[in-house]
Amino acid sequence: MLENQSKELSENREDEITRQLCANGLCLKTTEVEAKLDEGNIQEAESSLREGLSLNSELCANGLCLKTTEVEAKLDEGNIQEAESSLREGLSLNSEEARALLGRLEYQRGNLEGALRLFEGIDLQAAIQRLQASAPPPEKPVTKKNRPREPQQQPVVPQHAASLVLEAIYLKAKSLQKLGRTAEAARECKSVLDSAEKIFQQGISDAQVDTRLQETVSHAVELLPSLFKDSGDYQEAISAYRRALSSQWNLDNDSCARIQKDFAVFLLHSGVEASPPSLASQVEGSYTPRNNLEEAILLLMILIKKFNSGKAKWDPSVIEHLTFALSLCSQTSVLAKQLEEVMPGVFTRVERWNSLALCYSAAGQTSAAVNLLRKSLHKHEQPDDLVALLLAAKLCSEEPCLAAEGAGYAERGVKNAQGMDEHLKGVGLRMLGLCLGKQAKVPTSDFERSRLQSESLKALDGAIAFEHNNPDLIFELGVQYAEQRNLKAASRYAKEFIDATGGSVLKGWRFLALVLSAQQRFSEAEVVTDAALDETAKWDQGPLLRLKAKLKISQSNPTEAVETYRYLLALVQAQRKSFGPLRTISQMEEDKVNEFEVWHGLAYLYSSLSHWNDVEVCRMWEGRREFKPALAAFLDGLLLDESSVPCKVAVGALLCERGKEYQPTLPVARSLLSDALRIDPTNRKAWYYLGMVHKHDGRIADATDCFQAASMLEESDPVESFSTIL
Amino acid sequence: MSDSSPTHDSPPPPSITGGVSEPTVANESDTNAKCQTALQSLSSIVTTATIPPTISLLLEDNAVSAAISSLLQLPDSGAGDNNLCRWLYDTFQSAEPPLQLLVLRFVPLIAGLYLSRVPLRQPQAGFEAVLLALYAHETTSRAGQAVTVNIPDLSHPSIYHESKGPAKNNSTCLNIAVISSTLDPHGTVRSTRRARIVGVALELYYGKISMMPRESKLNFCESCEKWAGQNGEREEQKPRALIPEEESVAVGGRSEKDTGRIPLPWELVQPILRILGHCCLMGMKGEEDREVSDAASKACQSLYLRSLHDINPKAILATGSLLRLREMALDPKNQIDHTEISSDNVLSV
Repeated sequence: MLENQSKELSENREDEITRQLCANGLCLKTTEVEAKLDEGNIQEAESSLREGLSLNSELCANGLCLKTTEVEAKLDEGNIQEAESSLREGLSLNSEEARALLGRLEYQRGNLEGALRLFEGIDLQAAIQRLQASAPPPEKPVTKKNRPREPQQQPVVPQHAASLVLEAIYLKAKSLQKLGRTAEAARECKSVLDSAEKIFQQGISDAQVDTRLQETVSHAVELLPSLFKDSGDYQEAISAYRRALSSQWNLDNDSCARIQKDFAVFLLHSGVEASPPSLASQVEGSYTPRNNLEEAILLLMILIKKFNSGKAKWDPSVIEHLTFALSLCSQTSVLAKQLEEVMPGVFTRVERWNSLALCYSAAGQTSAAVNLLRKSLHKHEQPDDLVALLLAAKLCSEEPCLAAEGAGYAERGVKNAQGMDEHLKGVGLRMLGLCLGKQAKVPTSDFERSRLQSESLKALDGAIAFEHNNPDLIFELGVQYAEQRNLKAASRYAKEFIDATGGSVLKGWRFLALVLSAQQRFSEAEVVTDAALDETAKWDQGPLLRLKAKLKISQSNPTEAVETYRYLLALVQAQRKSFGPLRTISQMEEDKVNEFEVWHGLAYLYSSLSHWNDVEVCRMWEGRREFKPALAAFLDGLLLDESSVPCKVAVGALLCERGKEYQPTLPVARSLLSDALRIDPTNRKAWYYLGMVHKHDGRIADATDCFQAASMLEESDPVESFSTIL
Repeated sequence: MSDSSPTHDSPPPPSITGGVSEPTVANESDTNAKCQTALQSLSSIVTTATIPPTISLLLEDNAVSAAISSLLQLPDSGAGDNNLCRWLYDTFQSAEPPLQLLVLRFVPLIAGLYLSRVPLRQPQAGFEAVLLALYAHETTSRAGQAVTVNIPDLSHPSIYHESKGPAKNNSTCLNIAVISSTLDPHGTVRSTRRARIVGVALELYYGKISMMPRESKLNFCESCEKWAGQNGEREEQKPRALIPEEESVAVGGRSEKDTGRIPLPWELVQPILRILGHCCLMGMKGEEDREVSDAASKACQSLYLRSLHDINPKAILATGSLLRLREMALDPKNQIDHTEISSDNVLSV
């Protein structure tokens, strides 16, 4: 035991240079003694202790003083009985108090086994019972019957004794914890809290508690959950955390914040689902979390609020945990709000702008994100931040009017992707290609358009050298080729994309079908669409059905087209009815079929059917005037979406048809069609009907040009525009 | 066009859609019988290791787990007529929690192999049956309902804080976040639902992760690194080859190291991140835990780089914060034990 002890001591020496034993204002430095103990020289240690204590150190209690020399010497010899009795006699302490004092001495010296032996010798339960009896109403007279072993009535408040005993149990728990016996430690620690709770039934308040007792209680409150956690008793850990946070322990702000954080982390990451807090702890009208994530987020938000109001010390891990939790929930706009409220000085402004930009872009608030990135990429801030540059380029690539700006960011990104970051060069090139491709949609001239398109292709080709295995890039390259009507290359990339993703991405199927339809291979396109329908759950089939209907029309099969449209309509309506906001249709988010689109399709079909002489179909729609409902449907469509090219073209077409008899509608048709062509210059039908308008008006040369454009486009026209996919 | 249609392989047990059989009043002997049957049939499949006599022993048996793992890693292990897949399927369908735990233990490996093999067009009906069984179990146990979270609004008081806000205003203007969307029953793996089905299996795994052994978690971290693909990790960070035999038979056209890279939609990334969060941050004390935590942080690093390549802001935020959290946790500055008694070495009475 002595060897053990001296080893422990030598370990402690490095960080603990002076240890003192104080009693009632008198102190004893034990350095010298310990040094001698380390050398194993007990005799000398003892004698120097004697000397030292005879000068200025004594243990005092109850108005009596005692030299500790003898006590320590006896302890070192392992003679607890004698050490205790000399304390008891010398200081008029009772057995528990004496042992508690000795135990703490041993614990501080790092001799855990020794401390444990001392603590185990105390009948703590009995001591606690006595304290309970004495504590709640402090004025209650303490009879001798209750405390038979107490030789004398103490002048101090019972709290003092309580503090000593509770500290002893707490240290017992600590010793057990350090020895790896966590389950036992948890039991001891819990008994500290149980007793404290009984002693202070009304909760602890500053006025009535002494600091040392408060310290022990605070420590125990904090220790208990982690002990249960370490011993694998997760449900107990959860209730210990809740108990720590709900009962009135009079914790200081920092330790309360630490417990809240630990609990939040446990809830977030333990993978153990906590049962909701008990009804007893709920106050009417207050928010009660229902599951782990809710509880964790609540706690983290409360912590951030405490930091912001200066009630607790800033802990950087809290905002990271909150970032993780809220990103998991896809609630990055809430996160943005939290970040905005963080006190200045915690983050640099560029850091703050960039994280906010990430939050806003994840929440789909593109313009807010771009504005922030503009600030952080300003030449006086951090113009070379690669992640910010790439994010800015990506966001800009989604908006035609921002695409030119985005191309600038992408170019800077490519330039800065060096050294450690060289692997991001491909990403930069890819973004450059996307931005240029988008820019080509709002060109000033045809020449400019083709220049941008070829540069876009060049950039994407450059990107694929870096990321030949990136299916997204393959897809984007395919779409770019398709938009330039290089259908062979487009179909190759479309197939490669489906292979690489194992057919798991819906837009891949749609893209291949569209390319095939542009190649006028309608039946193959339909086969692809059917295969895609097989791979798709019912609720996601909308766009495929719409595509299929259009393919049927292209193959002059209107009855089946009508059937498909009807099915689609039923699906869309059922979808609208059966799902609230809780459903996220992962792949269909941007590409949901609008009900109005279906009506539009049907209306279009009706109006074209009016030209057919097929008896059966005619009978089906007999007596119905197609023009008006169709026009109404299109106008509804236009009201819903001002820039819808198909609607403009369709209304233009209808007005144009009508213009044969009713001249005044022609200028309206013409302006609608020109408008549509400004947005989508490859729209074959718009060219065709514009030609018709010119023809009706008698401008034959203009009409010829338009028809020529239409016929050129017809040879390579997909049933739906390629730009609907990207 | 896709490999996922199970019609070409002999499909494993029928009627997956119906969900798990009703857990009857499981009397002890019934449970025991089921466990014994499972053990017996396993012993005919795993021949290289002795099967322990009870399930609880089997859960902790490293030799048997290793034997099962190596069987799973064989190139044709996912086929519809694979005995092991059939055993895993039957075992999970038994609806006995300890047996289900045993199957979940292999989810990381199965999901990892399955998703990475998809572009190789191998028959995988066996893996799909197991994954569908997990999916069906979850679908029935939560009746297809979505899992949601109400993002709290601190202006309302809660059980943990008081607020001067208008408590009378009981209107719930809370943000509702969907953690896991509604589940429709699926009888087969449609390729566009593949990620969701695997994602749900991973959600189930996460729900039991505190009971999962170290090896299983390591398998998961390796799978993640493969899924993320090469995104410019430094040379020494190259992921360990999970299945050397398979990589050597990788199909032409793709270089070997790329075979594992898969599309990572959010429905897959989200459960992945939750599992990695656990592996990264829970228990960094023991040697074994430390190994898991190191592997998880490597996987996190890979996913972080991947999310940069995909410019996926949500994933950048989440993986970035996990990496920073781990860094903080390793920082000795943050390892103060606040429950230690005052260290000023003054003993006062």
